Amino acid sequence: MTINHKLLDILRRGRSPHENHLIDGLVREAVSRREFLRYGSVLGLSAPLLGGIVGAVGYGLTPAAVVAGTPGGTVRYGQIVPAAAINPVTVADGGGVTMLSQFGETLVLSAPDLSAQPLLAESWAPNADGTVWTFKLRQNVKFHNGQALTADDVVATFDRLADPANGSNALSVFTGILSKGNTKKVDDHTVEFHLDAANGNFPYAVSTDNYNAIIVPADFPADYEATMIGTGPFKLEKYTPKVGASFVRNPDYWGTPALPDRIEVVFYDDYQPQILALQGGDIDVIQQLPVLQAVGLLTDPSVTIISIPSSAHSQVHMRNDVDLYKDKRVRQAIALTLDRPKIVAGLMRGKAQVGNDSPFMAAYPSTDPSVPQRQQDIAQAKQLMEAAGVAAGFQATLTTEKYLEIPDYAVLLQNAVKEIGIDMQLNIMDQGAYYGDAVPGKSQWLDSELGITDYGHRGVPNVFLQAPLLSSGTWNAAHFNNPDYDALVKSYVAALDVEAQRATAGQIQTLLLDQTPLIQAYFYDFLTVTKADLKGVVATAMGHLLLAQASL
Amino acid sequence: MLRRLLLALLTLWLLSVLIFAGGHLLPGNVGRAMLGPFADPVAVQVLNHEMGTDRPVVVQYADWIAGFLTGDLGQSYAYRSPVAPFLVTALLNSAKLAAVAFVLVVPLGIFGGVVAALYRGRAADRILSVVGLSATVVPEFVSGIVLILIFGVWLRWFPISATWRGDAGPFTQLYHLILPSIPLVLILFGYIARMARAGTINALDADYTRTAILKGLSYPQVIWRHVLRNALLPTISVIATQTVYLIGGLVVIEILFHYQGIGSLIFTAAKKKDFPMLQAGVMAIGALFALTTFLADLLYARLNPRIRFADQK
Repeated sequence: MTINHKLLDILRRGRSPHENHLIDGLVREAVSRREFLRYGSVLGLSAPLLGGIVGAVGYGLTPAAVVAGTPGGTVRYGQIVPAAAINPVTVADGGGVTMLSQFGETLVLSAPDLSAQPLLAESWAPNADGTVWTFKLRQNVKFHNGQALTADDVVATFDRLADPANGSNALSVFTGILSKGNTKKVDDHTVEFHLDAANGNFPYAVSTDNYNAIIVPADFPADYEATMIGTGPFKLEKYTPKVGASFVRNPDYWGTPALPDRIEVVFYDDYQPQILALQGGDIDVIQQLPVLQAVGLLTDPSVTIISIPSSAHSQVHMRNDVDLYKDKRVRQAIALTLDRPKIVAGLMRGKAQVGNDSPFMAAYPSTDPSVPQRQQDIAQAKQLMEAAGVAAGFQATLTTEKYLEIPDYAVLLQNAVKEIGIDMQLNIMDQGAYYGDAVPGKSQWLDSELGITDYGHRGVPNVFLQAPLLSSGTWNAAHFNNPDYDALVKSYVAALDVEAQRATAGQIQTLLLDQTPLIQAYFYDFLTVTKADLKGVVATAMGHLLLAQASL
Repeated sequence: MLRRLLLALLTLWLLSVLIFAGGHLLPGNVGRAMLGPFADPVAVQVLNHEMGTDRPVVVQYADWIAGFLTGDLGQSYAYRSPVAPFLVTALLNSAKLAAVAFVLVVPLGIFGGVVAALYRGRAADRILSVVGLSATVVPEFVSGIVLILIFGVWLRWFPISATWRGDAGPFTQLYHLILPSIPLVLILFGYIARMARAGTINALDADYTRTAILKGLSYPQVIWRHVLRNALLPTISVIATQTVYLIGGLVVIEILFHYQGIGSLIFTAAKKKDFPMLQAGVMAIGALFALTTFLADLLYARLNPRIRFADQK
């Protein structure tokens, strides 16, 4: 690898210390090309600049595979019926997210490879300690009603989302990060976010990952659903709650115009009818299918399966404050009984990635790959049980929800722990009963000694590290309380560059493997199914379905 | 008749108490169910207050039933808009599907039953009974999937989805409804045919039939005037109760064939804790049940002089 130092020096000029630190990492090969591109994009380096630096350091640039599609036609897709009204402030379900993605756009796109790409923001940059982030907006963006997008709309959008009085679903992202009134207009096309605490991954909080954060006009109408005004490549034609919707190409779109003339959306209550509709030619795309439902399609030559690794997973929690699981050796022993590659191959039909009992799945660039993978080891598990004084095993109850493959996973776990003498009863209930009121004392999820809970995808591990594991975490079903962990997470969240994040991540991964409050045995792949002759469909693991470049 | 009417109203009131209490005794609160387990507690609180679901259950019931009696079915929690249009569309859709199935199965079932009775013990009887019974025990999701695979995916004769496009005319609508109505026909055919067969056999064995034959009436006249009229009485009450099933009990068929009927409306409302929608749906089915039973009683009385005259005394 030959480094062009002269070119590199020119490119380094005017870069911030954080950015230069990242470039150093690339030169020393401490950061891979892919990670450099991803973190450079988070820090706000422009794509041409990133490409220039990568080239100067001696990496060849892979030419982007551009497939020119044919414009025109109607793309029909099926999705699960949205659970509630299509209101960007309150949408909290997968069906609603997919609908928002048809007409709305966020400042940043969290791309399928988890990199942060400009969308309505052209560029962004943090201050020295990561507490203030400045975003430059695109100049030529118009809402579907013809009004131009300005900083006022952005400020109003985020103040609305950060206001607890609005019943905003985005609070789960913004609490502790962004408060109402702290989004400030600098000029018509520049906005500053003054954060509650330093945050190195803030661009993801205003990206498609935070699906509620689509930019809407400052004068947000009460019956938003009737117009669905956004800035996207398609605009609403007709919406019938519970039945479906149609969208048409937005002729005033700021970017590459959409290829399809129209999008037709059909809502379904379940997955099976969608599979039949795809096979019968009623629809061209199924927005999302769980692996277990997709089994019959995996070998079907008439469809294409788009499979994206996601961070969605089912976590097994063991209450750290009850007698049975107080001893970390018992928790380790249980985790050691699982044959993870076999679970991925069997239960998940290969459409999952092996997990290592921490939220740091392999696909996150900040994950430290040098931390050893936990493998099945029954002999060691038996030794640990003996050392903990429960060599004969014990009786346990696993409480969980009837959702996706979880009941089957529970049975696998039940069989696995038999090896170390644990006699596990299964208590599998309806989702509503399991989650209850979602507060301690009124929720099986948070009160049960041993349970399995599903978590949806996040582009960065921050939420997974905080709510279910911090001593103050609101979803801390394991009742995990570890001051060292809390301190490590705080420094991880504040870290601005990938090297510092990875160093802390390694410590967190090691600590979680040792303590084992949770078992994260596998991470699901997110599956979107299209007809084989439909090209250009882009899906995110969050539930966005982007059809602007789709062509039949 | 007035007593029957009052009894029906009392039943409906009891149903309203039961459905309301049932919904509110389920674990979990409404705002939480709307926003999901991971939503912020403050957001849940705000939503509950907005929808009034943080008030005492008795107050909520009084509010709801008062609105109900004045024709206000309330606001859907999930869609934040009035329940009535959803309910009306769903009922209308269900009625269309039920009508298609009804028009197919009732004549078929009665004809089959009568033929089986007239050829009692012979091949036709055996075949009709066995086929009818076997069809009845095949669950509708099995026959439904088989039909979709054969006629929708493979032969592509019929559309897979029962939902038609917005501007479809009556014939297109009928075309969409044929496939989903077949599993219903399969389930009900055996049932109706058995009732009709049993009734016809009873009537054939009755003294008045022998008298009619002996007084020299032609065979078709005996069947038409004397046998059928008496044979179909029990069949009518069976058909009446099945009508409610055809309209309100088709959750599986509606979901499989992707149809927006009242069954799937109630099912999704229950899943999402959308109580106003759920209550309105159940009350509609309850009212429908009361109405069809009442109508069946009237029809029964019209056909059966014994009841008609007993009532007039």
